[in-house]
Order: sequence, then C-alpha cells, then structure tokens
Amino acid sequence: MTRRLGPSLSGLVGLAAVLLLAIVTSPMRNGRPVFLDVRNLTDILRQVAEKGILAAGMTPVIISGGIDLSVGSVLALAATLTGSLLMGGGLGVWPALALVIAAGCLCGLLNGFVVTRWRIQPFIATLATMSAARGIARYVSGGAAIPLGFGAGGAPESFRALAAPLMPFVPVPAVLFLVSVGAVWLLMARTRAGRYLYAIGDSEQTARLAGVSVGLHKTTAYVLCAAMAALAGIIHCAQLEQGNPNDGVGYELDAIAAVVIGGTSLSGGVGTVSGTLVGTLIIGIINNSMGLNNVDANLQLILKGAIILAAVWLQSRRAPA
Amino acid sequence: MERAPATHAPRLSTRVAVGAAVLAALATAACGPRGSATHLVGFSQCNLGEPWRVAMNAEVAARAQDFPDLKIVFADAQQDNAKQVADVENFLRQRIDLLMISPNEAKPLTPVVERAFKAGIPVVVIDRGIEGDSYTTFIGADNYEIGRQAGDHIVEILKGSGAIVEIRGLPGSPPALDRSRGMHDAIAAHPGLQIIHSPVANWLREEAMAQMEMALAAHPHIDVVYAHNDPMAVGAYLAAKAKGREREMKFIGIDALPGLDGGRQAVADGKLDATFVYPTGGREAVELAARILNGEQVPQRVVLKTEKITRAGVSRHAP
Repeated sequence: MTRRLGPSLSGLVGLAAVLLLAIVTSPMRNGRPVFLDVRNLTDILRQVAEKGILAAGMTPVIISGGIDLSVGSVLALAATLTGSLLMGGGLGVWPALALVIAAGCLCGLLNGFVVTRWRIQPFIATLATMSAARGIARYVSGGAAIPLGFGAGGAPESFRALAAPLMPFVPVPAVLFLVSVGAVWLLMARTRAGRYLYAIGDSEQTARLAGVSVGLHKTTAYVLCAAMAALAGIIHCAQLEQGNPNDGVGYELDAIAAVVIGGTSLSGGVGTVSGTLVGTLIIGIINNSMGLNNVDANLQLILKGAIILAAVWLQSRRAPA
Repeated sequence: MERAPATHAPRLSTRVAVGAAVLAALATAACGPRGSATHLVGFSQCNLGEPWRVAMNAEVAARAQDFPDLKIVFADAQQDNAKQVADVENFLRQRIDLLMISPNEAKPLTPVVERAFKAGIPVVVIDRGIEGDSYTTFIGADNYEIGRQAGDHIVEILKGSGAIVEIRGLPGSPPALDRSRGMHDAIAAHPGLQIIHSPVANWLREEAMAQMEMALAAHPHIDVVYAHNDPMAVGAYLAAKAKGREREMKFIGIDALPGLDGGRQAVADGKLDATFVYPTGGREAVELAARILNGEQVPQRVVLKTEKITRAGVSRHAP
C-alpha cells in the first residue's frame, strides 16, 4: 500500500490553473490586479477558514471509509452555545470554550457509537445527529440568534481576539485553519492511529483480522471531526458576533466537496489532508475571483459546478494504483 | 457453528424501550389541545429557520395572551410544502375553528387551504399568498414600497450622487426582486447615484460578510451599502469594520426586527444608518382571527405599513 503524504500533482495543477485564471481576470487598481493584493489573499484564507476546518476534520473520517453529515449542524450548535455561555454564563472565555468543544466531542462520540456499535451506516447515523444537533441549537436559543455584546455584562473582550488579525494581514481564523490542517497531517502521516485509519478505509475486514481495534479508531475520527466542527463554530460566532442556530446549513456538502476535490476517495483508504487544503483553496479562490468581478450569482453556481467536475475529472485520471 | 448474538442492530430490549417511549410521548401530545378555550386556532408557519418568522410566531403568541378564549396551536413546516400540507390536514383533524397560514409556496398549498375554507373554516393568510380566493383575509406588507422608501432615503443622504453596493437576497425570491426594483426606481432619476457592485448573499450575515470583503477589495470608495435585509447589512458592516472602513459608508437594511439580534438594535448601536420595518403581521393576524370568530366582517386584503427606523427615532420605539 502506498500512501502519498502531499497533494497529488493534478491537484496542484488545478490550483495553479485556478490561480492563473483569477489573476488574469482580476479587476485592476492602480495598475495592479486586486486579486493579488495581500489583504485580498488573506481575506480568502479567512473566508475559507471555517469550511476548511470542517473539511480537514472530515478528511480522516472519509479516509476511514465513513462520512459525517452532521458538521454543519454541530457548527451551528457550537456557535449558539458559545453565544449563550459567553453572554449568560459568567464563565471565563476558556472554560466556556472548553465546554463548547466538549459538546462537539459528545456529538462525535454519538456518531462513533452508533456507527461502530449499532453498525448503522455513517450516512444515516450522522444524518440523525445532523437533525438532532440543529434541533438542540434552536431549542437552546429559542430559534433566534444570540448576539454578542462585549464589556460589562456581556462577553469578555478577549473573545474578540478570535476574529481580529493576529498581526497585520494575518486573520486568526486563517491561522487556526492552517494549524488544524497541520495537526490532521501529523495524525494521518506520522502516527500509528493515522496508518490504522488508512488500513480500515482500505479494508475494514483485513484491519480487524490484523488486530486493529476498528471501533476505537473510527470513533476517534468522528470525535476529532466533531471537535473541529465545534472549533469552526466558535470561530463562526466570533466573526459574526452572534451565535445563530440557523447558520451552517449545507456546510457539510461544501466540506465534502473540498475533500473530494483534494483527491480523497469517498470509498475510503486513499487521500491526504494536504489535498484537502488544496481543494479548499481552489473553491475559495474561485468564489473570491467571481466575487471581485461581480459575476452574476446564477452564473457563479454554474461555473462552480463545472469547476468541481473538472477538478474531480483531473483527479480521476491518475494512473491506476 | 455457534454465533455470537447479532451486533448488527440494537438489542431487542433497546428497541422495545425506544418504541414505548415514542408511543408514550405521542399519547401525551394527543391529549386534548383545546383545554378550556372556546376557539381552537391552528397556525401553520412555513419555516422557523428565519428570525423574521420566529418574530412572527412570537408576536402571535404574545397577542394571543390578550384573547383568553383563543387557543393557538403552532406547526413549523420547515420549508417543506408537503409537510405544510400535512400540518394543515393535522389541524383539520384536530377540528380547528380557524386556520392561520403563512404558506411556503402558493400553488402546492392552495388545494388544502381550499379544502379547509370550503369546509367552513375561516382562513387568515399571512405574508405569502395562495391562488384563487378561498380564504377570508390576506395580511402582508409591500416590499416594493419598502424598497422605494429605502431608495428615497439613499437619495436624501447622498444628495443625489455616490457609489452604492446593493447586497441582494435569494435570487428570484419575490422580496428580493421587489426590494431591488423599488430601490432602483427610486434612484432612477439621479444619474449621479451608481450601483457599483451587487452581490447575492442569500439573506445571510455570513455570506454578506465575504461578499462585502470582495466589494471592498474591488472598490476604493463606497458611499452606501443597501442590503435587502438587516442580517446582510450587519454582515457588510462587520467586513468594513475589520478593514477600518466602516465610517466611509452608511449601511441600510430592511426588516427592523425587535430583540437583541434584530435590526432596531443594530441601528441603536450605530452599525446601521437606517432600517425599514417589514411588519410580520403576527399581531394583526390574531386580532383579525378574533374578529372573524366574533362574526365580524373583515377586509379581504390588509396591507401593512412600513416605517423608517433611524438612530434618532429608535429610542422612541422600544425594541
């Protein structure tokens, strides 16, 4: 079995093509393409950060042969809990955020339990969590968004740091996104648990016969995925200054699209998180470029569909393993 | 060969327990929704995923407190025509005395509403219409008029010239079309007013924030951001604030919902320059329902008025 550690060549070719297209079509300001403005480039990283973190968390799940449809709802639940704990709890920032991540882990644990113990298809198990987490988020907040107010009687000022730039031009969400990708890369490429997830995705039966505790490792992947969705939810809350139980609808599909464009196979066993990074950037650059050019919204959807197909087609032309 | 007990499905005992719990819940729920009230009103809401509709339900519930002989039961169709049809059928089986409905779409809901109306149940339709005239009264606001007033406001604050970013709601949805058309008609007579960027953000704060970043990158100067609803206007404001450009331009939204996450608060906080009330009609619907059940005649169409909310005026209207 060969495992690539980096993104595929075709993925990089796709990224380069999209970059080139974005530069060539960019509107100009003072004789320079707006697209290449450092602020615009960091904007792109910020714009993709939330879905990128979801996609990075989704990657080990898909490599292990599963899928997680609940991440969009878990993001909404986490954002809502963040808003409600910071505004009403009187807890410090860190305890509140730890509770939110713990809630996320619980969702992941439920997914892992139902998938591995009850042997329910991941598609169905996580569909159930998707519905339940959304319901809990709406229940907690009464259906309305919880706005963050800062200062006395509100959320601690320090929570604002999550949405602010770390340094000039370096948005914190972008940093957290890149750190998340790095962490998942370490897990998948450098640890035994990562190797086991590839083996399980390749053939669950073989992995089990070889003595891998399949249930434990699959559950770990779901817990990690949900914890990262909760992290994305916290960032979501910080950036929008509110916890909205109705946000994040359809995010799971965008995350899965980024993973697949990045060359990870939905049938498991094959893929890399660096590929997911490339896939996320491809989608982000396309969206940004079309936005800068004020492209008609319907045309945007059509172009995005065509580009996803093209990227996946490039990937599928890999030499057979 | 001996096999371990199947692990493919939950144990029988678990399934029996879950089944019993579900049955118990259903049985409890089925026990008389009418209580001591004399009139049972079913309110079928097309979805509770939008703050505006959450506010409508809240208004209905609050106003119903003042009519002790009205008992209102709620259903949320979650944006699904089929579920909304089933919700109304459910109401009919519960023998409601009056139906209040905000339909998801006109055509798919018309037959079931007709059925209720023909069976002698008065129908109050809110916000979105149904086809034909099988209803007692329709309550709604005029989005075109709201867009026109927003356009007039832009003409007023820009004194006839400036660069406008228009952030649009869901493409093709009637409110997005009308709010856009109204504004365009209002500024048409002022060639100095130019719409330089008009992205779609599907009513969402999160999408408006990203779209606004691109508008800010592409345009060195913007005077007004007109968003088809308040969440998008606030999203645009947050994007501009992150770039330190929020003072360069004014932000205008629509809806003016009450509550901490509503547009009124955003105006009070100085994030938005103005917002325009898009009344939900929840309060008026309950009042009309009470009058109908009292045997009074009501008009077949009630158009709700909008109102401009600015910072100077916001304190006068308690949020």
